Formats: sequence, structure tokens, C-alpha cells
Amino acid sequence: MELHKVKFEVLRFRPEQDQQPVFQTYEVECMEDWVVLDALNAIKDDIDPTLSHRWSCRMGVCGSCGMLVNGRPVLTCAAFVRDYEGTIRVEPLSNFPIVRDLVVELDGFVKKIQRVKPWIIRKLEKDLSEGEYRQSAEQLDEFKQFSMCINCALCYAACPVLANEPEFVGPAAIALAHRYNLDSRDEGNAERFPVLDSHDGVYACSFANECSQVCPKHVDPAMAIQQAKLTDFLEWAHILPKKSFT
Amino acid sequence: MSAHAASAPKTRTAPARAPAGFPMGFYRYRNYVLFAATSLFMMLGCAMLLDAIHALGQGEAAWLAFQARMARPYYLATSSVVLLFTLYFVIRFAWVGRKIAAGRIGPIPRPPVPMFVTGVAPIGGFLTLWLILLLILGGFLP
Repeated sequence: MELHKVKFEVLRFRPEQDQQPVFQTYEVECMEDWVVLDALNAIKDDIDPTLSHRWSCRMGVCGSCGMLVNGRPVLTCAAFVRDYEGTIRVEPLSNFPIVRDLVVELDGFVKKIQRVKPWIIRKLEKDLSEGEYRQSAEQLDEFKQFSMCINCALCYAACPVLANEPEFVGPAAIALAHRYNLDSRDEGNAERFPVLDSHDGVYACSFANECSQVCPKHVDPAMAIQQAKLTDFLEWAHILPKKSFT
Repeated sequence: MSAHAASAPKTRTAPARAPAGFPMGFYRYRNYVLFAATSLFMMLGCAMLLDAIHALGQGEAAWLAFQARMARPYYLATSSVVLLFTLYFVIRFAWVGRKIAAGRIGPIPRPPVPMFVTGVAPIGGFLTLWLILLLILGGFLP
């Protein structure tokens, strides 16, 4: 297979020596079918073993390899080198502190996800002998799209609200909360209500829609947030009951 | 190391960077900034409305003075800018409605698409009538 040289500008930050992140240029011989992640792995394997970046599955499932490529948040395992012209600039996800090179600090993101309690909440768990919780195809359709999130955090990197208000709960967490609120087996929307209805909740979003544009799984978090706003308002106005027995 | 020992201090991190093109270099971010700015102009519009109501309550002389004030080029320009931002807000709001329409909201069934078409149409009709009325009041139409 034909090789061609591609220039990469990679943002480096080594906390033990760099005061600020700086760009470093690498020339990599890429194959026609390489993705940006292949090139980063080639840099680490053959040129500069000190380069740090996250990756795991290489097939757009684990959500580990999200980075900015030419300014756009993408999964680098799904971004083909051949689709870019000239020098390719690779940076860590925006809106997150940088731990090292292309690795960002995700603690805040995980805490936000945990805040919305993304699991099925029941007053009483059924006994195993009573069988599974049945759900129709129509009931599944109501939330299935929002359950496709792989927590890659690309939506957080694209969100202009987070750039202004770092405490904003954010697209993925709200989409997850909405997913469980719509689930016919769940009874916990009252527990999620204080988070979604808070100052940093759904109303901080002014619908730039960039989260949905960059989502690699077409979850459409912007839609989830707008729907969550309406649901939140209807619950606040007692038009919709808050499903909870706790 | 003991499991009860305090965890090691965190590595020094570099501060988070804003998204590329934020706030004005990318059209969706420009839209975000513009949408946020509508609140200022709509507040200005509300202030002008309160001024009008106040003038109405003060008798005919005050109302005529208000009208004369509003006819000045500065006020006309301000009113036009307020109108533009209000229109922008309405269009953006209608666009949000399109997203909300996509799903079922709790026990409320999925609203039919025509409901939103007929929902947007009255807003458009109202704005058109409002514009025509403004043109008549401004003396631009007989």
C-alpha cells in the first residue's frame, strides 16, 4: 500500500517542564487507510514515545480517543487522514483541563454524569421470581436514541455554554437523565429534577446545537435538552407528575 | 502504600481551552452569542413599552410628546434594532420547538407535525400584521 508523508501539529503539555501547552510538529508516513489515531500511535511507537494520548477500541465504541482535529471534536479512530488537506492539527478536547499532551482531566465530566443518577430508580425492586421488567418496542423507541451515548465527551468540547459556564451539567449528562426519565421502567425523575432544574441545569442551554453536530453516535443531545426543558417545566407546573416513590 | 493514606496530590494541569472558533469565529457560536444578546435588546423594548404605557396614563399631552419623541431618528433606529432582535429570538424559539416536537413527553402523546406548522404560521401572521401596522403608523403606507 502506498505511503505518503503527512505533517502533524500536536499540542504537547508536559507538566514537569512546560508552563503552557506548545505545538510540536511530526512528519508521519501514513497509509491510505489510516485514521488520525493510527498516525498518533505511529508517532508514539516510532518517533516520540513520550507522546501521551488515550485510546482503546479503535472502532468508535469506547469513546476514549476524542480529540480536536483541525479544531473539530472527533473520535480520532473514525477520522481518516485522507479526509484532511495539508498539516493536520491535533489538540486535546476543549473545555477540559489538560493533564498531559492529548489527555484531559475527565473527573468533572464523570461527576456531572453521576449527579443525574443515570440508572433505573425503583421504589421496590421486583423479586426475581416475578420475572423481568417488560417493555414494548414503542416504549423502547421513546428513549433508545439517547441511550446510544458512549460518553466520549465530544459534546462537552463543542459546547459554547460550557466555555462560559464550566459548571453547566452539559449535553451528555442531560441526555442521559432524559433517557432514564423517559424509560417506562424508571420511577426516579423527581430525584433528577433538582439537578436538571438547577441554575446549571437545562435552562443554561441556549441551543447552539453544536453538541448534536459533533456527536459520533447521533444521539442529538440538543434535542434531549430541549425536551428536558419542556418536561421540567411541566413537572414544575404540576402538569406532569414526578415519578417517584422515594 | 496504605489504602487509608491520603491520595497523592494531583498533577498540575493546564487550564481548559475554549472551543476553536469561540466566541465569534464559527457561525453556531456567533448564533449563541447573538441569541444571548437578544435579552438586552428585548429588555430595551420592554422599557420603551413601559414608557408608552406610562405616557398613555399621563393624558393626551404626554402621549403626543411620547409620539414626537419616538419619531426622532435615534428612537426609530433603536426600535428597528429591537424589532430585528425580537424577530431573531422568535425564529430561534420556533426552531427549538421543532426539536421538542420530535419525542413523546411523558404521558402526553407525540404532537402532530401540522400543530407546529399551524403554531408557527400564526406567529408569522402576527408579526406581518405588526409590521404593516408599524408602517401605517410610521406614515410609510397610506
